[in-house]
Amino acid sequence: MILLFAVASGFAFGLGWVRWLGQPYQPPALKHLWLVFVSFLPQFIAIYFPNTRAQISDEWASGILIASLIGLLGFAWLNRNLLGMKILFVGAVLNFTVIVANRGFMPISPQTASHLVSEEIVSEIPIGSRFGTKDILLLPEQTRFEILADRFLTPTWLNYPVAFSLGDVFLAIGIFLLLAIQTKKERDVP
Amino acid sequence: MKNKLNLLALSASKIKREHIQTLFVVLSLAMLVLGLGAPEDSSITGK
Repeated sequence: MILLFAVASGFAFGLGWVRWLGQPYQPPALKHLWLVFVSFLPQFIAIYFPNTRAQISDEWASGILIASLIGLLGFAWLNRNLLGMKILFVGAVLNFTVIVANRGFMPISPQTASHLVSEEIVSEIPIGSRFGTKDILLLPEQTRFEILADRFLTPTWLNYPVAFSLGDVFLAIGIFLLLAIQTKKERDVP
Repeated sequence: MKNKLNLLALSASKIKREHIQTLFVVLSLAMLVLGLGAPEDSSITGK
């Protein structure tokens, strides 16, 4: 949800900015858009959609997630000339690295996880088990590239606990810039 | 009935090709970040 907020706020900012300039909004000129759909669909089936997710083993889910990430990374690389896409690509590489290095899922420590669900629930989940959608519960000392794991938390005053990684921060900044900042070339499109 | 149909046609004509294209791009970018990102929130994990 936090990344969808970055998409929505970037788009809203972009719309507001061009309206203030008195020009129509031009979306970023993305190439090979089909690659996003082709790469995301298997991940949606294996990770997000509850009915199909329950029927896919963790081994298959991690393989599908990695394959999906490779496709999406390819898309970001092919569009790297767009403003914000380079930052997004860096975030994607960081997340990809930590996921591949930790059994194909994003590591999260029991301590961080206990901010999302109660400590009793976390204590019942065996270390090394999947947690939430893409995460795996691992002790910090068992985690490779621990600095890139889901280790950051939204402030408590927000009353919406989210654990996120350094890669997610880059992704959010990149997507915001991509949608919010209209380059001169985009604005000049009739 | 005819007025309603006219109103519907008028509304549809206001939706330009560019609007659909923009919506499509934004939707694709939402999929991109959902696919690449891995934040975990309490609405999914269920606190």
